[in-house]
Amino acid sequence: MRIGLLSKLALRNLKRQLRRSFLTAAAMVIGLALLVFSRALAEGSHEDWIKSGSRMAAGHLTVQAPGFHETKKIEHHLDGAQTRAVLRILGDSILASVIESAVPRITTMGLASSPANAIPVLVLGVDPATEPDFSQLNQKLIEGRYLEPGDRLQAFVGKILAERLHLQLGSRFVLTGQDASGEMAGQLVRVAGIFRLGVPEADQGMVHIPLSTAQAWLGLGDGVTSYDILLKSTDSELLAREMLGELEESHDVLVLGWRETQPELNAAVKMDDFGSYIFHGILFGIITLAIVNTILMSVLQRIREFGVLRALGLQRSEAGMMVFIEGLMLTAVSGLVGMVLGIAFTWGFFRDGLDFSSFMGEGEFTMTGTIINPIIIPRLGSSEILLSLTAIVVIGVLSSIYPAYRATKIDVAESMKFET
Amino acid sequence: MSDTKAAVHTEGLWKTYEHDGIEVHAVRDVSITIESGEFVALAGPSGSGKTTLLNLMGTLTRPSRGKVWVGGSEVTDERESKLAKLRLHKIGFVFQAYNLLPTLTAAENAELSMLLQGITADERKSRVEELFARIGLKGLEDRRPNKLSGGQQQRVAVARAVVGKPAMVLADEPTANLDSHASDELLDIMEELNRELGVTFVFATHDPRVMDRARRLVRVVDGGIESDEARAQPTA
Repeated sequence: MRIGLLSKLALRNLKRQLRRSFLTAAAMVIGLALLVFSRALAEGSHEDWIKSGSRMAAGHLTVQAPGFHETKKIEHHLDGAQTRAVLRILGDSILASVIESAVPRITTMGLASSPANAIPVLVLGVDPATEPDFSQLNQKLIEGRYLEPGDRLQAFVGKILAERLHLQLGSRFVLTGQDASGEMAGQLVRVAGIFRLGVPEADQGMVHIPLSTAQAWLGLGDGVTSYDILLKSTDSELLAREMLGELEESHDVLVLGWRETQPELNAAVKMDDFGSYIFHGILFGIITLAIVNTILMSVLQRIREFGVLRALGLQRSEAGMMVFIEGLMLTAVSGLVGMVLGIAFTWGFFRDGLDFSSFMGEGEFTMTGTIINPIIIPRLGSSEILLSLTAIVVIGVLSSIYPAYRATKIDVAESMKFET
Repeated sequence: MSDTKAAVHTEGLWKTYEHDGIEVHAVRDVSITIESGEFVALAGPSGSGKTTLLNLMGTLTRPSRGKVWVGGSEVTDERESKLAKLRLHKIGFVFQAYNLLPTLTAAENAELSMLLQGITADERKSRVEELFARIGLKGLEDRRPNKLSGGQQQRVAVARAVVGKPAMVLADEPTANLDSHASDELLDIMEELNRELGVTFVFATHDPRVMDRARRLVRVVDGGIESDEARAQPTA
């Protein structure tokens, strides 16, 4: 097949109908630019949702004892040997380079009681030195202070919880929960600080206490219920999971990702992606039809020319290939221009992001217990580029097949009667 | 029986079309042999079937019945890909409406069949230059068809038809859109190419000027051959 000649003729034909080619290409350029930008925006917002959700929950990855995730019973905890093994792996320079923060935690359900009330709460025993980098709950302080190294009986409580228990700074209240041996145990603590996160579930039902206090209260020795890991980016999730996975066999632990620990968030991301793919599917369906129309019109207007070429000795398949190349050229060039334009446009928002706060109203905007940042910083990864390139190839092929097929079916003798 | 030396030979050739359930015979039982080097006119009024006969000889359409030989090889039932190769190497076409590709220059149009044949760029350039000089197109190589007169366009079409060195050129009403002066010039060129290069020319025409120049006049009426007259001396 004489691809060089066919490409030359295809290019000349595109140039010949410059205005029509340009208008069709414009649709592709805008479509691809929109695809790149909106995918980068979606990826950026998903990354933010996941990070925000992971901060509030068990991180991007969590190492737990088998059985804890399903039962939440404290008897399923990591003992000292397992905890030390986790720390050894976390010390690996490759893993350390992708981790933003890793914290030991004891997580248990309990009852917070004061003379005024008794309310079920989620108690987190945390390391005051490392926890602020992870949950950043200290930044939501409205009264008092966050936990500090050396604290023993201090507690950091949500504003709604403090109100319901009639607690003030320095007030004492009792946490009651089931210890490692299954017995009920109580712990007296004192309010060191009050936070307001904006997530009702946290503000009315979460208490941070020092890790050592929780270990003593629940009889865990130097054990913890989990080691929660926050990554710098979800891009490193597979690598980190694979490295931590070594512990699963050697130390009988379980490594879980955010999709397992936060299924609601996972569903929200998937639904958002699904909606976005439907939108892009419709958009590219329309673009494909526009390109089919342009190329088909160009074939129908050149029936006589195709007849001449066939009479001169061009093979039927070559006539089809010429049209196919024409379609591919149109989509490839305009698609690549659109992609570059989309990247350039997205690049402009990389530093400061796009502020949607005016659409979100007053206060924190939450979804599935996760605070949504109104400023979305687009995120452009290799998957977005790959998706765009795939879209270009798919649209190019789909929009060229039918016109190319029509070109192969032109009757040479009949085409000479065709008026142009 | 085929004449193996013939440029084209047909036996009992029919071409039938169906319109609204009625069969129309565009070509009826035509048996004809055109020898290499002939300068033949298939003459007849519009609708007589001469263009269809020309298309059958050029393998542009398949017969409903009968057989066709080109250069001694039977092509009646050949695959389309083989027919395309045959047309590329053995048959040149000149059409009534010139049918040059508007996106290509005069030289590029002329080169087209050579490009398809895979002839090198140097050889193509040299052949086009020589031919353009011979047929009065020198200096017009880089012009697009819309910048050429009708006569010039038809000369480019003739160049395109002969530059690939085919054994036979089939020309369908080549002078129909030309004035008398341009027609005479074009016929002079084709006669010269026939005489000097030995290219067989077969015309479908109702132009008396072409009939006068033909050394063999085949009259086609209602799809059949009414007369086939050899003429020793062209009168032009």
